[in-house]
Amino acid sequence: MILSDLIGAQVADAEGTHVGTVVDVRFVIDGNPGQLLADARLAGLLVSPHGRSSTWGYERSGATGPWPIAQWLRWLHRGLFLVHWEDVSMVDVGRVALRAGYERHDAALGPRTSDG
Amino acid sequence: MTIRRDQTAGLVLDAQLHLLDRQVLDRDGVPVSTVDDVEVGGIRPGEPVDPAAPPPVITDLLVGTEIATRIFGGRPPASRRMPISWRLVSDVGTVVRLGVAGDSLDAGWVERWVSEHIIARIPGGRHDPE
Repeated sequence: MILSDLIGAQVADAEGTHVGTVVDVRFVIDGNPGQLLADARLAGLLVSPHGRSSTWGYERSGATGPWPIAQWLRWLHRGLFLVHWEDVSMVDVGRVALRAGYERHDAALGPRTSDG
Repeated sequence: MTIRRDQTAGLVLDAQLHLLDRQVLDRDGVPVSTVDDVEVGGIRPGEPVDPAAPPPVITDLLVGTEIATRIFGGRPPASRRMPISWRLVSDVGTVVRLGVAGDSLDAGWVERWVSEHIIARIPGGRHDPE
């Protein structure tokens, strides 16, 4: 599956209630060592209850400027949460279903150790 | 619903923020292409996710032909995708660095074709600026 099939997918809980849209996919490089870099495992999906896309990440970082844009994007993505891959029950093109009792995690990014 | 805080070890990459549209450089710092999409292995569309199965991983970076379909929708045929295996990636930062020479990749064929057939015909296009 390619990433474009996941981003923008509608997310529903186990009862079929719409909970948001996948606006990004979080990977963590902590897998089995590869030839050069370890595997990048899919850690979870970032789900926004209100926004449909997020390309700048204001709502996940401490960036504050330009102030009007930062404030608007934070408001647009209020309630953004990370759902772990273990809480995903099914993925289809444009559609994601979560398990019963899934947990919402803070989507904030920590300080990066790389230069990106 | 309660929001929980995570403590994650390892380098965290949010695909839209840290991978898509990043420039790809080979081991010598020569531009190869840009990341237009990412192939994720281990997801079977429409089938239940096995909680005991290993999590999906990035298998390839897709370069070269995906940008138009990301903007306008649809997707190019699989035969037109130019994958760069994740195993060749040596670092992800402001750019994506590969551990191999760009000449060894099919991904750079567009750049090579343009260089050989268009840039080379421009006066001065066959040597470095003086």
